[in-house]
Amino acid sequence: MMHDLALLCCAAEAALVVGLVAAAAVLRLRRGRRAQRDAALGRLYLRIVMHGLLTGMRRAPAFPRIGRTGARGVLAQVLARLASAAYGLDAGLLRRIVRTAELEPYLLRRIRRSGGVRRARYLSLLARLAPDAAVGAAVARYASDRSRSVRFAACLVQLAADPSQALRLLACWPEPLTAYELAAVASMLRRGMLPVAYEPLLASPHRNLRSLGLCIVRQFGIEEAEEALLRIAASDAVPEIGCEAVRTLCALQRPLCRSGVLRRLRSMGRAERRALLRCMAAEGYASDALPELFDRDERLCYESLVGSYKCELVCP
Amino acid sequence: MARFSGRGGRENRMLNQAAKPDSDMYRILIVSDDPFLRDMVRFALDGLGAEIRTPGDRSEALRLARRVLFDLVLVLAACPYADCEAMLPRRQRGMRRPRIFFVAWQHSEHAVLSVLDGGVDQYMTFPVNLQRLRLKVAECLNTLNP
Repeated sequence: MMHDLALLCCAAEAALVVGLVAAAAVLRLRRGRRAQRDAALGRLYLRIVMHGLLTGMRRAPAFPRIGRTGARGVLAQVLARLASAAYGLDAGLLRRIVRTAELEPYLLRRIRRSGGVRRARYLSLLARLAPDAAVGAAVARYASDRSRSVRFAACLVQLAADPSQALRLLACWPEPLTAYELAAVASMLRRGMLPVAYEPLLASPHRNLRSLGLCIVRQFGIEEAEEALLRIAASDAVPEIGCEAVRTLCALQRPLCRSGVLRRLRSMGRAERRALLRCMAAEGYASDALPELFDRDERLCYESLVGSYKCELVCP
Repeated sequence: MARFSGRGGRENRMLNQAAKPDSDMYRILIVSDDPFLRDMVRFALDGLGAEIRTPGDRSEALRLARRVLFDLVLVLAACPYADCEAMLPRRQRGMRRPRIFFVAWQHSEHAVLSVLDGGVDQYMTFPVNLQRLRLKVAECLNTLNP
């Protein structure tokens, strides 16, 4: 009796394992087929959009199979990637495509039904589709979401919907902007969606705006901002912003043996000084520039950095 | 905002000059690991009268570059340091060197100079103006001897 029971249990376990493996295989196959289908559809949609842009089409083109599950998501991704990788496109036609394919209601629905990372992903897709003021107002509720990535993506949508409110929105952002968040805002600047005026940003009383100003100076290599950078490095009340100003001076390859920079360096922690050394090595500063700035151990560290393979790549 | 199709007289002249009969077409190679960027640039260069090849990966692109003499090689890369040396096709003995355009996300002075030192003729950064890229390619093809 016991023997039969054990045999039955083994058979049931084997059947369960086989069933699970088969289910996993089917799931993987379905995912693979769906990915292939989405890739083919994305290619087709890209061709249609590019043809419309090339020929100066007035009306939004028709997209085959747009009613199918996931097809609107594919089109939204195509348009978002196109907007990220290219500028100077016919914004009117892209706007008409978004409206005709009903991408904004689709994305707002997905945003409402999802949460966490997915919600942030859909919001960032929406931010790249040049949303209008109504969409900006519709996502305002996510500005108080639990997840920081969702809050920031909602802020990006609002920035894209109404660029004239950019400074107010960024100044109201309660936490210090991270490097990733600054890069996301800077990429909007590069696509011409926001104005590039660094001077009022550097002089702003808000930490995030000063940080964005430094990011702009660094990304666009604005050497005229040197005086403002020295002022921030010497006397900014927020230590992180002062350090960022020193790194920005370094990125612009300006001389660092200045009284303001020296004062800031003395107040910097060990890790921050090492980070600055790495920046200096990447920018190709000579060892002769170091004696006044760093102690003996740090100078030795700098020499090893210069001799490292990383520097060989950066300074061939 | 200006339409991408760019119907300016200068551009139209350039593009018409760039178009050649089928038997003697210019050859363009687009190298990128990203299929979206590859297709985007390929569709943007449609109508230039050139044969455009877009191999699926880097090794295939290098194989193709060794076999076929291209007039222009367009490298679309995420990081120029990693890709520059590997992606540039070698000069073939006794053959004309292809013009090389590089479009990458990096915009620091070091990145641009290192790539230009590596033999690249034109460096552009993403996000790229497709109309300008098309015009540059047409200009480049017009300067080549048939």
